[in-house]
Amino acid sequence: MTTYHRRNLLKLAAGAGAASFLAACAGPGGSTKTTADTKAKDLSFAHWRAEDKAVFEQIIADFQKVKGIAVRQDISPSNDYQSTALQKLRGGTIGDSFTAFRGAQFLDIAKAGVSTDLTGQSLLSKYEPSLITAGASDGKQYGVPYQLVFNTPLANTDLISKAGLGEAPKDWQGFLALADKLKTQGVAPIAWPGGDAANAGQLLNIMVVNNAPADDALGKIETGEYKVTDDWFLTVLKQYAELRPYFQDSATGTSSDAALALFAQGKAALLATGSFQVAGVRKLGATFPIDLLAPITTTADKARYEGVFNATFILGVNAKSAKQDNARAWIEHLSDPAVAGVYANGTAQHVTVKDVEYTNADLKALAPWLTRKTALAPRFQFTNLDIRGAVENATVAVAGGKSPEQAAEEAQKVIDQKK
Amino acid sequence: MKFKLWLFAAPALVLYGGFFLLPAVQGLRYATTDWDGWSPAFNEVGLANLTDVVSNDDLFRNALTNNLKFLLAVVIGQTALALLLAVLLAARSRASTFLRALFFLPTVLSSVSVAFIWKFVYDPNFGLANNLLDAVGLDAWKSAYLGNESTAILWVAVAQVWFHAGQMMVVYIAGINQIPEELYDAAKTDGAGRWQQFRHVTWPMVAPATTLVIAYTTLQSFKAFDLILGLAGNPPRAGLDVLATRIYSTFANSQLGYAAAESIVFMAAIALVTWLQNRAGKAVHR
Repeated sequence: MTTYHRRNLLKLAAGAGAASFLAACAGPGGSTKTTADTKAKDLSFAHWRAEDKAVFEQIIADFQKVKGIAVRQDISPSNDYQSTALQKLRGGTIGDSFTAFRGAQFLDIAKAGVSTDLTGQSLLSKYEPSLITAGASDGKQYGVPYQLVFNTPLANTDLISKAGLGEAPKDWQGFLALADKLKTQGVAPIAWPGGDAANAGQLLNIMVVNNAPADDALGKIETGEYKVTDDWFLTVLKQYAELRPYFQDSATGTSSDAALALFAQGKAALLATGSFQVAGVRKLGATFPIDLLAPITTTADKARYEGVFNATFILGVNAKSAKQDNARAWIEHLSDPAVAGVYANGTAQHVTVKDVEYTNADLKALAPWLTRKTALAPRFQFTNLDIRGAVENATVAVAGGKSPEQAAEEAQKVIDQKK
Repeated sequence: MKFKLWLFAAPALVLYGGFFLLPAVQGLRYATTDWDGWSPAFNEVGLANLTDVVSNDDLFRNALTNNLKFLLAVVIGQTALALLLAVLLAARSRASTFLRALFFLPTVLSSVSVAFIWKFVYDPNFGLANNLLDAVGLDAWKSAYLGNESTAILWVAVAQVWFHAGQMMVVYIAGINQIPEELYDAAKTDGAGRWQQFRHVTWPMVAPATTLVIAYTTLQSFKAFDLILGLAGNPPRAGLDVLATRIYSTFANSQLGYAAAESIVFMAAIALVTWLQNRAGKAVHR
């Protein structure tokens, strides 16, 4: 009797082992069915803006009063969100409604079938059409960019005025002269978070837009049509080399928080990130007036753009969610101009929603930039993060002392391997 | 009887098979595809991923080089410091008990907390290290630390040594306390000084502990993923990228098949280093 059981058990174990082994050897690929937890009553809203949590809580409370739907914020730090959001959203356990970065992440999410198609939905009429194109792919509107940010350096206009400057420099030589004057006044002309991969690359946007031979030049670097060893990109890198004396000390090791603190404390005149950090600057107690100041990298007559903007924080409805109707209702709520106003004024960020009244003093001060000639941030044209990293690392390497030519060659080698 | 013994081992074997063996087999399978991690479709690429990883990938080679630098610095630094602390604190006294606890303390912290502490130390503008150098008039030694591409990984190694040296110290103290006192008495009788006692008694007698410390430190060095991400951010720049973070970046770049191939080479690298260490350990203690 015992022998019989033992054999059966052994057979069972061997069978289970063999089946598992064969399953492990099967090809990859997954199901596309809905996997969300249908029992959970609240809606999960996945995003990366921890600094916006309180404002969202306020909006959520209103939404719950009106619609009776509770919303839970699932927040990850931005870099982690960039790396892991797609897999989490596919699982359906978080992110009934979600946000995505413009570029690689949004396109991957759309390709993976995780976003529902919002084409034709009435909520789209509440947005500026030209600002939501980043939420479209293959002719379908898979999401709506919510934030309108300027990836253009922030300027402490008190320090700029003290340097005797009435208006922003119109060319590269003018910008270097300004930096020189600021330096003689004992402040770091530019606070640049060269030690933080995510934010170090923001400066590249404005350094590229007027030097590039085409608006989609960084995308063409990825496809191989352009190279970082081309003259125009070498010019970009050489200009980074010219900026070396004007960055704060040890810029390549400076974190985003440290650069923010240097600027907020008035130790640096410019913060080379963007308007998305205005609220952070104010949180550190800065009371000086803030404007944007873009280094124009060419002569005045050749400059095509005054600055850079980005339409991001792309709102979407998770196709894997069983609560898509509620998720859509949540996005509709956010699209209401009054609600978008609460978000914008509470977080000091412009939005892509039409007819929003900006009451925040910083937003009012930066409002003229809404109608200026600005380019859509080019660094998000990269869809391969290794290639983006190689290009951005080249700029950091040059700022750290490497020759532009060598940095470009090393980056191009990686691009050739990865494209 | 034998069968019953197997039954005792069965739960562990099932867990090992389910959570290690099968994923490893799956990893081998995925490495032969170009699967992005989410599409239902994929292409078979044979060994192309593996050959690319070993012969045509500067990012991977850079990460491997960084990992080996890190490994060497941590193994040497951590082993030497742990042994030094153990020799100095092996005697039982109130002061040594207090100091042992003090040096062991970082071990109980999480990697994220350690990264946070050292981020503050290394910040070139507001950090402790540069401020201290300023205070003692050594401004010329100020550095960008993690911002210096060629030495950044060594600064992370310093943090790693601080993090785990206390833990290895405990292993060494246990080893030292096992050494019979008679051996020291005999050495003293032969006129051996403190250094000679260490060289000819302590060092050979703690050989098993050294083997354990080096093996454990090696594995820790390869697994220092969270400390590096905490210090360097995600993705880490070239100077701080190690194999574990490289694989994670590849995965985040929607190249799961290629990341699986990188993982296989990673496992092979760990196996090779461990084998070399065993050979070297045997040769030294022979």
